[in-house]
Amino acid sequence: MKKILAITALCLAGTASAQEEIKIGAIVTLSGAGASWGQAMLHATELAADDVNAKGGLDVAGKKYKVKVVPYDDKYQAGEAVTAANRLVFEDKVKYIIGPVGSAGALAVTPIVDKNKVMMLTLGFTDKALGKDKPFNFRPNLTTMETSQPQINWIVKAKGIKKVGGLFPNDETGQQIAQDLEKAYTKAGAQLNAKEFFERERVDMMPLLTRLIAKGVDAIELDGNAPGTAGLIVKQARELGFKGAIIRSGGPATSEIVNVAGTSAANGMLVNTPIDPANAAVKAYADRYFAKFKKRMNGFSPAFYDGTHMLLQAMATAGTTTDTDKVRVALENTKDFKGILGTLNWTGAEVYGVAHQISAPFYIARVQDGQEVIEATCSLTECK
Amino acid sequence: MDFTFLMGQALTNGLVIGLLYLLMAIGFTLVFGVMRVVNFAHGEFYMLGAFSAYVCVTRLQLPFLAAVLATFVLTLILGWIIEVVVMKGFRGDELNGMIATIGLAMILQNGALMVFGPDPQSMPAVAEGVVSLGPVMLPMSRLYVVAFSLAVLVVLYVFLMHSKGGRALRAVVQDIEIASAQGIRAQFMYPLGFGIGVALAAIAGALMAPVFSVSPSIGSTPLLKAFIVVILGGLGSIPGAALAALLLGVFESVANTFMSSSFSDMLLFGFVILMLIFRPSGLLGKAGR
Repeated sequence: MKKILAITALCLAGTASAQEEIKIGAIVTLSGAGASWGQAMLHATELAADDVNAKGGLDVAGKKYKVKVVPYDDKYQAGEAVTAANRLVFEDKVKYIIGPVGSAGALAVTPIVDKNKVMMLTLGFTDKALGKDKPFNFRPNLTTMETSQPQINWIVKAKGIKKVGGLFPNDETGQQIAQDLEKAYTKAGAQLNAKEFFERERVDMMPLLTRLIAKGVDAIELDGNAPGTAGLIVKQARELGFKGAIIRSGGPATSEIVNVAGTSAANGMLVNTPIDPANAAVKAYADRYFAKFKKRMNGFSPAFYDGTHMLLQAMATAGTTTDTDKVRVALENTKDFKGILGTLNWTGAEVYGVAHQISAPFYIARVQDGQEVIEATCSLTECK
Repeated sequence: MDFTFLMGQALTNGLVIGLLYLLMAIGFTLVFGVMRVVNFAHGEFYMLGAFSAYVCVTRLQLPFLAAVLATFVLTLILGWIIEVVVMKGFRGDELNGMIATIGLAMILQNGALMVFGPDPQSMPAVAEGVVSLGPVMLPMSRLYVVAFSLAVLVVLYVFLMHSKGGRALRAVVQDIEIASAQGIRAQFMYPLGFGIGVALAAIAGALMAPVFSVSPSIGSTPLLKAFIVVILGGLGSIPGAALAALLLGVFESVANTFMSSSFSDMLLFGFVILMLIFRPSGLLGKAGR
């Protein structure tokens, strides 16, 4: 009898001291094509949660909260993302979601999360992911919309480029990117005057490249192509004796391109990168990431590490973990946040109608012996 | 730049790609000739060949020639085993055999996904550098492909035309019953034909691995091209496949150089449809039985 009493007492004591919890849901791609991005986001959120939990939890209105991450795999499919969102919102009762990775998934889950006032930090590159009618959606990473113009301005000027050729996949993404780039190059004073569209599974680019080169282009643009395809284009262009510049205006994929094209063919390529290898904070983060997950981190990961920290800070500021209307306003009002990527602010009011897009520094790097060497540091207005 | 550059470049590109199609299509048509089965897993053997060469060269540090030979032997054995274990019940059974090969393709592709992961891998080029003939650039890596493919084709020709096994195989392709009546052991010829057919696809994969990249999904395009080639050349006809493969390679390359890529693809398939309507047996094929 004594024993039972003792155990009951222990149990009671246990519940009394048990901490409150903040659950953050994650709808991320953990298998298939987008897996490297999904893992990068999930692990970033987990590391941010570790930070807070190591200090005994997040202090909100005098109470300590443990942060717990609840992940679901969406397999890069909108349907799976909706299933995951329903489970997170109605069964796990989360108020905050990281993800989804893909544009289609982001658009598909938006009605569910908005109706239930669940805040969402998505990676989705579509310009429809953010808007006045989607008050709970935020995007902690930069997209091509933000980075292409300042970057192209700099490259066109610094490298004296006049005629640009590009190979794009013959689908919605490829057509859209070709159109956007054409505008950006024209604005920068150059011309995208040779565009070729091809079926995504194509591997022999020689005929298309022959045509581009015959038009006398100074540079070849790789934006919009999957990493592997971009690598093939680089390899074959150099095999055809192309000596001009090769530019990738978006989508971190340098290591994959170098893998496919080979170190010497990829030398001199100019790429957009969200990460400065000289940044000590990011380097420390990458080492910590590698030590814990035994994988090299993808370029998107630091953005979500900072994003999660911003979200948690907003809860602390708002003094609530459940009233997302207040947390949303607190997140919107976050200014000059010191993240590992640098000083972060929200922007995007003119483009999206709502300032829920992160403004972070980014870089133009030249690929040298398979590594990125920073050539210019960019803000959303210009590169230097 | 001038017309000679474009045309010269297009023709040489076309010839190189044509040789790749040739290796693919001959194997494909050989399997059909022997088994009367359209092998949908043919592209996956191309993929396996590419991976085999990749592993031999990058992990085992073998020279490229040894890697290609090892690939040939391994896939020949694998093809033999698959024929005996899986395809035996479907010999001459076109519909069920086709479905079996679709299943086989899925197993092979997903198996490769599990073992090698989805990321494209790259193999070091066999040779660096470029040979220039006037304005025309010939990458050394592709010239190697030409040399190797020609060597393989010569060996195959000698085997089929001047060896006992080759003659027996051709006899089986022409008429299995008469061949059996003449004392050819069909039980031996089925796995041999299937094995050689898929091993040719694997050689094509091994040769193209350093030129393109290596990933579990690379098999689908060469399979599609092999289809087009055998439709143009006549299903089951080896000389027809040879002619059609080279024509297809050159046509594709020239059309892509002078026209937009989507338009030239349309033109190509239009051509295939016309061929099916007006000459369904192909350029050199015999009328169906």
